Amino acid sequence: MERRSFLKSFGAVAAVCSVGLPQIASADEAKKVVGPNEMSYDNAVAAITGGKPVTPSAKVVVSAPEIAENGAVVPVKVTVESPMTSKDYVKAIHVLASKNSNVRCANIYLTPANGEAYFGTRVKLGGTQDVVAIVEMSDGTFLSAKQNVKVTIGGCG
Amino acid sequence: MDVSRRDFFHIAAALGIGLPTLGSAASTPKRADEVGLKDIYSFNARGNVTLLHICDMHAHIKPLYWREPSTLISAPNLTGTPGFLCGESFLKHYGMKGKTLDAYFDTHMNFDALAHKFGKMGGIAHMKTLINHIKKERGADNVMLLDSGDTWQGTGLALKTTGEAIVKAQNYLGVDVMVGHWEFTYGKTRVKELIEMLNATFISQNIIGDDSFADDFEELIFKPYTIQERGGAKIGIIGQSFPFTSTANPKEFTQGWSFGLRLDTLQTYVDKLRKEEKVDCVVVLSHDGFSVDQEVARQVKGIDFILSGHTHDPSPQPTVINGTVIVIAGSHGKYIGRLDIDIQNHRVKGYEYKLIPVAANLIPADPEGVDLVNSLYAPHEKEFSEVLGVTKNILYKRDTFHSPFDELINDAIIDTMDSDISFTPGYRWGTTVLGGDEITMDSVYDMTAITYPNVYTFELTGKHIRSLLEDIADNVFNPNPLYQQGGDMSRLGGVTYSIKISAPSGKRISNILVKGKPLDDNKTYKVSSWGGNLQNAGTNLRDSLTRPVYDVTASYIRRQKNVNIDGHSNVDILDYDCGCPRKGSKGC
Repeated sequence: MERRSFLKSFGAVAAVCSVGLPQIASADEAKKVVGPNEMSYDNAVAAITGGKPVTPSAKVVVSAPEIAENGAVVPVKVTVESPMTSKDYVKAIHVLASKNSNVRCANIYLTPANGEAYFGTRVKLGGTQDVVAIVEMSDGTFLSAKQNVKVTIGGCG
Repeated sequence: MDVSRRDFFHIAAALGIGLPTLGSAASTPKRADEVGLKDIYSFNARGNVTLLHICDMHAHIKPLYWREPSTLISAPNLTGTPGFLCGESFLKHYGMKGKTLDAYFDTHMNFDALAHKFGKMGGIAHMKTLINHIKKERGADNVMLLDSGDTWQGTGLALKTTGEAIVKAQNYLGVDVMVGHWEFTYGKTRVKELIEMLNATFISQNIIGDDSFADDFEELIFKPYTIQERGGAKIGIIGQSFPFTSTANPKEFTQGWSFGLRLDTLQTYVDKLRKEEKVDCVVVLSHDGFSVDQEVARQVKGIDFILSGHTHDPSPQPTVINGTVIVIAGSHGKYIGRLDIDIQNHRVKGYEYKLIPVAANLIPADPEGVDLVNSLYAPHEKEFSEVLGVTKNILYKRDTFHSPFDELINDAIIDTMDSDISFTPGYRWGTTVLGGDEITMDSVYDMTAITYPNVYTFELTGKHIRSLLEDIADNVFNPNPLYQQGGDMSRLGGVTYSIKISAPSGKRISNILVKGKPLDDNKTYKVSSWGGNLQNAGTNLRDSLTRPVYDVTASYIRRQKNVNIDGHSNVDILDYDCGCPRKGSKGC
């Protein structure tokens, strides 16, 4: 295997590992836990929140490109403003792609020991859609933020 | 065609031409027989610093004709706003009169007739005379020349020298700072070589390493900004190269580099320049595109000036958004934007701007520049000057859906490849050949000189063609400027269709006819395309047919000898009545 293709294949893994989080559930694992691949976006959100309301919040920031350079590896970062103390911390960050056939991309579980609620990965997007972060706080509330990412064949000048 | 100064004045008198000036310099238009070099030079000088701005020269170091668009359609919310103005709407928006020298430069109206009277535009020898004049007036130490990119690509000369001839031209002009877009299509290694040859600082805050095993992973590839002292003031200039280079052009040229708008880091650099570097003025030198930069001004705080590029708009007056002043200086070397800035007590107190037309018949050529151009062209003169044929009607490149030179290229491709459908990219660079004029090999290169010139022939299903057209339309007509890529719609040969611009994404295109018959979703069509990556979406690529587009086009014109393109569009726009609609209107 050439160095470049090796790097290409493992780039996404590196991005995840460099964050050093204790638990990382891949989309595949999420599927085993919560249900079938074909789960609709609304059902996937309900599976995460148990039906509790989700509040869009400026405390959650999803960083993703406006236009994907490559839909197969779209860099996504989620940061949540939180003191990360035992009384007030981020319990989980869920990354969803609103129109993928499997809408759940990653479930990240955190503890106050993480110190910072920050997660970066790369997701595959089947088309133009929202990348959504649903964040579970230690008081049981859910916050969210999203960023629309355009996936296009491109072409202009 | 060249006309003498006397002819020019005579003609100008007949047309009632006056040269309007802008801002506080505005005065009653002069009688036409008084218009001359001093009107072009006329400027209400202000403050201590002058920034001269060029963008999107596309390697045109010789004067040329360049006709602005007669159709420039956008999403309804942007209709008639700066960046989407043409013809009569352009003149009305900027308060200009028709048939003036400025109107000839800025609009398509009466282009053929005015071109014969006013002559060619741009050219480094003429630009240099203008730059020298301003440096003499202001003091060379108080003047800076900034280049928003798309400079190294666009002519046969640029392609044959892989950019080197154009870097020499930039050094001759005295470019101080630049950013890039098409520059990157020479590939990473060549880009770095050319930057070594360039006597300017190449900056970009929005290109970072993308290779997670490399030392520069998520690190800057170029210096994000430069601080230059002029007129006793510290000026911070942040670079913004084309954010969508890796989507719009082949990824292979920039493998390992990631592009993007990166407005969060742009804000960080603006703040850093102000708070840590204590600059007196923050400038963003940009290749984002004019409408994108208006959005940038809404989202990023604290920028004094954005010198924009990419979308080739002439903007005779600045656009001011949230206190940020945005200018853009057309394309193809037609203009130099002059921005005088009054900086006092470490802040901008005022400014004066003029978009100066480089009228090659009025601004004398600098002899050194003429010699440089001649020496650079000499090795290629024989090939470039070959006359391939003669065109009956004007051939130009711009317009949102259809332009005559693209129709000619599509005709050449379909004739050569025997394909059902041909796609030619909606680039905004090229040239204009007047009706009755000869088409030279140089003109064909002007339209097609890229480092990935191959015409590919492959198969696509009707359904796929429909979805590709919708995808391209959504890049051009997206109501959010941040999701546009600044080009025009791909030009289709062999096809007619209707479009409703205001329809939702994916539902704009209808009534697609291929050779007069409705597009069949299940049928497989033989498609040829160049300048994009459609071939990656296709199947059954015919390798044996693959040829560079300039060869295909030149051979076809040689066979035709007399070219007769009537300029009738193959696209029916359902929700606009004219090509240059006014703000909030479907009509002109």
